[in-house]
Amino acid sequence: MNVQTPKLLFRRQLLHNAGRGMVREQSRCFSCSSRHAQQPTNPPKPSQDAPRLTHFGFETVAEAIKEQKVRGVFSSVASSYDTMNDLMSVGIHRLWKDYFVRNLNPGQNPLKSSSSSEQGWNILDIAGGTGDIAFRMLDHASTINNDPYTKVTVADINPDMLAEGKRRSLVTPYARSPRLNFVEANAEKLDMIPDSSIDLYTVAFGIRNFTHKDVALREAYRVLKPGGVFACLEFSKVNNTLFNEVYKRWSFGAIPLIGQLVAGDRDSYQYLVESIERFPSQTEFRDMIQDAGFLVPGQGWEDLTGGIAAIHKGVKPLEPKITKEFIN
Amino acid sequence: MASPSRLSRSIRPQFRSSLLRPISSRQSRLYHSYEYAQPPPFSPAESAILSSAIAHVPDHGFSSSALSLGARDAGYLDASTNLFSRGAFDLINYHLVSQRISLKDAVQFPGEAEQGPGKLGIGSKVRALTLARLRANRPIIHRWQEALAIMAQPSYVPPSLAELARLADEIWFLAGDVSVDTSWYTKRASLSAIYSATEIFMTQDTSKDFTDTEKFLDARLEDSIKLGGFLGACSEWIDYTGHSVVNVLRSKGMRV
Repeated sequence: MNVQTPKLLFRRQLLHNAGRGMVREQSRCFSCSSRHAQQPTNPPKPSQDAPRLTHFGFETVAEAIKEQKVRGVFSSVASSYDTMNDLMSVGIHRLWKDYFVRNLNPGQNPLKSSSSSEQGWNILDIAGGTGDIAFRMLDHASTINNDPYTKVTVADINPDMLAEGKRRSLVTPYARSPRLNFVEANAEKLDMIPDSSIDLYTVAFGIRNFTHKDVALREAYRVLKPGGVFACLEFSKVNNTLFNEVYKRWSFGAIPLIGQLVAGDRDSYQYLVESIERFPSQTEFRDMIQDAGFLVPGQGWEDLTGGIAAIHKGVKPLEPKITKEFIN
Repeated sequence: MASPSRLSRSIRPQFRSSLLRPISSRQSRLYHSYEYAQPPPFSPAESAILSSAIAHVPDHGFSSSALSLGARDAGYLDASTNLFSRGAFDLINYHLVSQRISLKDAVQFPGEAEQGPGKLGIGSKVRALTLARLRANRPIIHRWQEALAIMAQPSYVPPSLAELARLADEIWFLAGDVSVDTSWYTKRASLSAIYSATEIFMTQDTSKDFTDTEKFLDARLEDSIKLGGFLGACSEWIDYTGHSVVNVLRSKGMRV
């Protein structure tokens, strides 16, 4: 508790400072729409110097600001990330992540590999600051596939999330091994990663927050080896109408409230549910992956828990497809 | 002339998009057409990996390791096996589909043109085709029980049964069956049952060149002919007796 208090105070201060220059976020949950209607609404101010707009939850903001705002959100949730995820998803997010990793089956048994030149997989985990996916990948590779070579590069735009991941890695066997390293990077500009060098590119609950998803997908295509896999675990659209009603109630009613009570930060969690709502549907996102040049397996995605989350995959082909620019 | 140019402009985007996405726009027909070739059931990348993976099945079984070895042979990575969401079942499915499709090239009925149709009865054609399909399992027969176990997993039962139905349909079609009555269904159902029973028998057959399997198949086909004859006789008897009863009642003055 003694450790937490100054940290909490500091965080609030940070958020307060960060929030001053921006348009105040408004809560627009279904359950409190009447309350919301009574409040005077201040429309988002269009800024003259940055005309290119994007969305931040249900708000419209300048593109330049979005990155900064997303950074603010995740800085403020980094320490309570796991507790909050458990409360919001009733623990199911762990099952999703476990399934995601088991399904990808990372790592290759060195005894079974024919060529000794290349050992283990080279995995890039984007927006994986807290290491959730990275540790699972390494565990799966070591214990299931007996592969001591597979390495994971964790990239995140947010230094606070990376610090949290580094702190957590200390209790794993990978803390000071060359198998795990952390990089602060924007998924749209992975300059430190060479072309065609990655076997598996994963992004779990991160791509939703990217300003330019298509640019990030193209960057993923660039860094992957031919035959490499792009895998994305992300919130998606619920298929069943009845279940959707219950789910929307929960996400717009309960999640911001839990955020307020547990993490002391309603706005960040309001952003979370709004950004989930704004994320493209399974088919739209599948088409985006195809447009970036990937081959998709089967229908292109797999729904988890009735479509609350979905796993999308894409494989980089050996010969690139003819792109739009080429034909025009 | 404004209208033709507008027309061509409106067509062009469609045409272009169909060029861009040959896979998504390829059409699969629900009927058999002699005019149009059926689209290939697997994309080029998928068939490249799967066909090289099949070569590893005798040693590694229908497993993910056969898949990743196949991927490596085809120039892909181990990770590329994520292209197959159902893992080993996709490999089994590839075997089933590719063997079904190659059946029409594997079995030719010679001499049909000179001596006219009917030289070889439909029954013996069905037998020849079924045997040819069973023989295609020979290289992997020692792994086939594993495959059957995977196919029996609850989520894979419907696609496996669907593939069995397609095989039975293919055999009757290639044998030249043109029935359009209810026997269309009973023929396919009985052939499916016979084929799957014979296939299971074959996994335990130790005889030279699977002669026992051949005998087993002949016995089952015989049974089905007997059963078919018995059912036919039964229905004929019921039909005759029913009419007789009605006629007797009518002769007694009853209004039936």
